[in-house]
Amino acid sequence: MFKGWLVLKELLRGAAITARHFFVNMTFHTLKLFGVRTKRRGAVTIQYPEERKELSPRHRSLHRVLSREDGKPRCVACMLCVTVCPSECLSVEAAEDDDPEVQKYAARFVVDLNRCCFCGFCVEACPVDAIRMDTGEIRLAAEARAGLELPLEKR
Amino acid sequence: MVGLKIDGRPVQAPEGTNVLKAAEQAGVSIPHFCYHPAFEAEGNCRMCLVEVEGLPKLELACSTVVREGMTVWTSTPRVLQARKDVLEFLLAEHPLDCPICDKAGECKLQEYYDRHGLFAGRFVEAKEKRDKKAAIGKGLLLDRERCILCTRCVRFLRKVTGTGELGVFERGVRTEIGIYDGVPVDNNYSGNLVDICPVGAITDADFRFKTRAWFLKKGPTVCPGCSRGCAIVVESVSGYPLGEGQRRIFRIKAGENPAVNGHWICDFGRSGRRDIDERRHVRVMKNANPEEELSWQKALADVTARIRAVPGPERAAKIAVVLNSRLTCEELVLAKRVFAESLGLGKIFFADPKPGVADGFLLTEERVPNARGVLQAGFSPRLPDLAMLAASVEVLLVFGLHLLDHFSEEAVFRALAGIPWKFLFSSHAGPLDRLADFVFPVALPAEKSGTYINVDGLRQTFGRAVEPPPGVVSEREILGCLANGLGLNMGEPDAC
Repeated sequence: MFKGWLVLKELLRGAAITARHFFVNMTFHTLKLFGVRTKRRGAVTIQYPEERKELSPRHRSLHRVLSREDGKPRCVACMLCVTVCPSECLSVEAAEDDDPEVQKYAARFVVDLNRCCFCGFCVEACPVDAIRMDTGEIRLAAEARAGLELPLEKR
Repeated sequence: MVGLKIDGRPVQAPEGTNVLKAAEQAGVSIPHFCYHPAFEAEGNCRMCLVEVEGLPKLELACSTVVREGMTVWTSTPRVLQARKDVLEFLLAEHPLDCPICDKAGECKLQEYYDRHGLFAGRFVEAKEKRDKKAAIGKGLLLDRERCILCTRCVRFLRKVTGTGELGVFERGVRTEIGIYDGVPVDNNYSGNLVDICPVGAITDADFRFKTRAWFLKKGPTVCPGCSRGCAIVVESVSGYPLGEGQRRIFRIKAGENPAVNGHWICDFGRSGRRDIDERRHVRVMKNANPEEELSWQKALADVTARIRAVPGPERAAKIAVVLNSRLTCEELVLAKRVFAESLGLGKIFFADPKPGVADGFLLTEERVPNARGVLQAGFSPRLPDLAMLAASVEVLLVFGLHLLDHFSEEAVFRALAGIPWKFLFSSHAGPLDRLADFVFPVALPAEKSGTYINVDGLRQTFGRAVEPPPGVVSEREILGCLANGLGLNMGEPDAC
């Protein structure tokens, strides 16, 4: 009997909170409708897939490997990103470039998003500004793990 | 002995030693590029300047000989400033392409800049453009922009190999290292040029761009290439960032052992890298098919059963063992105790690689590391007679693939086809795999610990330099397991 009363009490408390939020938001939205300016605004839900919130310029999203003017990857495969990566998600394979000024480039640059923790250390470590995390792409999902191992040198 | 003081510490050094060496003995390291303990001091890099009390100018630690009562200071403000200035001159023409340089991480220039330099570049002028990729022979690439002209390579080829393929050409800003009229470096010790280059000027095409130096785990061991037993360092990567089919062993470098090889190893020993990685057995094979599920312990139970099936008195005639001289002393002694003493086998043979040509310096004719160990274990090595094997033997245990060095594949197949049970213990894939009922993958010398006795009778014990691939064990474990399976107590840990 006593237990049943406790449950009912908590249920009513929860309902009260929901109702409070509803009426407070409703009040502010109604006031706005009638042109009354208030300091606080009613809460708005973003209709996610159709609507997008703007990302901060510092936001770290999917990586990209920048290319040179001639389309080759800018990455010289120095492996500093591989070294610094705390979640060991990068793998880079170097290859020999014919241009003596370039010499070394990344033939393979794979980021394993299964492991990546989006810390951005790779971007910080890069001596040639070849990797950035500014694509704004945050919808990163795949049906299999392999789908999240992205070969970035091809993009 | 001469008594002197270095940084206030009293040091005793033999007469004729230079200050740099004496300081190292006292635990004071003086930065240097051109000085190498194997050569006389050259004094062209000017990095090892130290202050000697009573002398007005800074002196070179590498070419100043110790004197009684000398007082040397290696880190006074004057010395530190001089080092900084020398580094600034060296770096004025250095391309700073560390991100693409194979030496990065073990480069003296990097190390000393970090420790003694840390200045901002003051030069606004463009750096000289030079040849970035000059092939100087034997897979060596010379980057003239990175070269600091310490001439270690030139001196090595003149004094150690005596071939003198490299020289210093031109003068002033155009000075460069080069080969004479297109005659490339071609000797069995060329790989040492990469080891002694203090910067990334001479690099090895085999190692080029494969990994970075700081990923490598260094495992000292003894070279199994010939009976000299040089100290080597096997540099490998374990686990991340290694992928499927990638290299595990990246290079073999010379270790230091004044009693055997000094600072050098030959290119033949260096090329042992491929041996550790390529064409390896990693699974037990049954009738020439790799078995995923079958462990070596289970397969070995079959060997034990076949040996047990032969009645005691007939064993001497019906069981034969072919060993090799790449086994360590511990393994040979164990083999002696198991096969000769306990089982009483008479047919114990040895099949080794054919002798090569000695090069007069380190490489010997015997291409096995432990021929002395075989004798010391009490074996008298002899090749098997194939016809005799075919006639009477029922169980044959072969360690190693070197039967094929002495007999043609056809002859071996013809002779051994009639033997009912053949077991092969080998590290590499080869034609004999098709012949054996079971093939056991075994570890290479770099993957096990043990003792080798070299050509001069020097006993050298080494530890495991690289982890063997999973499922691969040394002959010692296999022999120990075999002994346990046969009920012989050899005091070996039970690996089964």
